[in-house]
Amino acid sequence: MDNLNGLSPKEILKGYNGRKLRIMEVCGTHTHEIFRLGIRKILPESIELISGPGCPVCVTPVGYIDEACILALEKNCVICTFGDLIRVPGTEMSLADARGKGAQIKTVYSPLDAVDFAKENPHKQVVFLAVGFETTTPSACIAVEKARKDGLDNFSILCANKTMPNAYQALKGSADAFLFPGHVNAITGNATCKALSEQGVSGVVAGFTAKELLTALAVTVTLLQKGEPFFVNCYPRVVKDEGSPAAQKLMAKVMEPCDSEWRGLGVIKMSGMKLREEYADFDARKKYSLPEIKGKPNPACRCGDVLQGKCKPCDCKVFGKVCTPQHPVGACMVSGEGACSAYYQYGM
Amino acid sequence: MCVGLSAKVVDLKDGTAVIDASGAKRSVSAELLDDLEVGDYVMVHAGVAIAKITDDDENETNKIMEEL
Ligand code: SF4
Repeated sequence: MDNLNGLSPKEILKGYNGRKLRIMEVCGTHTHEIFRLGIRKILPESIELISGPGCPVCVTPVGYIDEACILALEKNCVICTFGDLIRVPGTEMSLADARGKGAQIKTVYSPLDAVDFAKENPHKQVVFLAVGFETTTPSACIAVEKARKDGLDNFSILCANKTMPNAYQALKGSADAFLFPGHVNAITGNATCKALSEQGVSGVVAGFTAKELLTALAVTVTLLQKGEPFFVNCYPRVVKDEGSPAAQKLMAKVMEPCDSEWRGLGVIKMSGMKLREEYADFDARKKYSLPEIKGKPNPACRCGDVLQGKCKPCDCKVFGKVCTPQHPVGACMVSGEGACSAYYQYGM
Repeated sequence: MCVGLSAKVVDLKDGTAVIDASGAKRSVSAELLDDLEVGDYVMVHAGVAIAKITDDDENETNKIMEEL
């Protein structure tokens, strides 16, 4: 710690008085933990934190909710989903609204619970809403493999899984450095982030406790002052350089890359995952011949700008007035990890 | 949905681990981690143990600051 005069991470951050720095926390859980732990309050004005697109619920496009509503209302499927997705607005309705019209929507903690439910209810057609980044994609793959092994013909997934590398490319110029999402890197390893630093894009991978977040920010601020692009793994107790080879192998076996639409950001090339042809029986889009759907988001919503750090949630005209966690207009206000809901909850 | 849960493995059988997260027990898939043992700490996401936790955050962050 010699070169830092023995300062603690907190002291380094508090004492910073250099040029304005913009640090993007990619992961929605980071956004919320940073608010909850009061870290924003100790930062000087010259360190600005901006929220990135790393909340899977926030970037799930309107059309996906529309597809799920068709499956629930017209194809009579039982929809199993992570709870956050239920209140995300679709073009005409959310899944909560569909439930009001008689749809069966079941909240599950894991896709494996959805497989168990399908097994226990052989007369029901069960569809799991598979959203999420590299962190959650392995669980969807394990569920599909399990359903196949158990010979279930009443289980499928509606796949909207996403991958981060091309999103980082799309967001390159948005910040001076990224706080990379710890649990994505636990799966993928650090190669993408290291390659980014070689292209001049700096960042650190961060954990989630107060100590870890303060340290990750202090490392970022210290290294940004040195001026050289960098990557540091600030979460080595969970993130290994190689990530999880078993998870990578499983994902490559069950799914393949595809173009993917991100709410507010548009289509990002090869930033999504879909089931491989061998698993077509478990692909709800194919099984129920879903038509191609183009959802229409509410024009007032600025989620896209929020997710790229172009504006703060409170810059959106309807923030806190028409759009609240009770009556969300956009996805960023729904999820516990969304930037708008964090700003609303913690009053910034 | 992305919030990870750190928990201790208290039982292991056929690719399934029983974990204890501050007193709450549940079964999760352990098939991504082949060298897991009872007593290990793991990070759990959506019902799957995705990584082993190899240190505590205090030690970890002290080391990082020393190396900076
Ligand atoms: S406040 Fe609501 S409408 Fe505005 S950007 Fe956020 S989620 Fe969208």
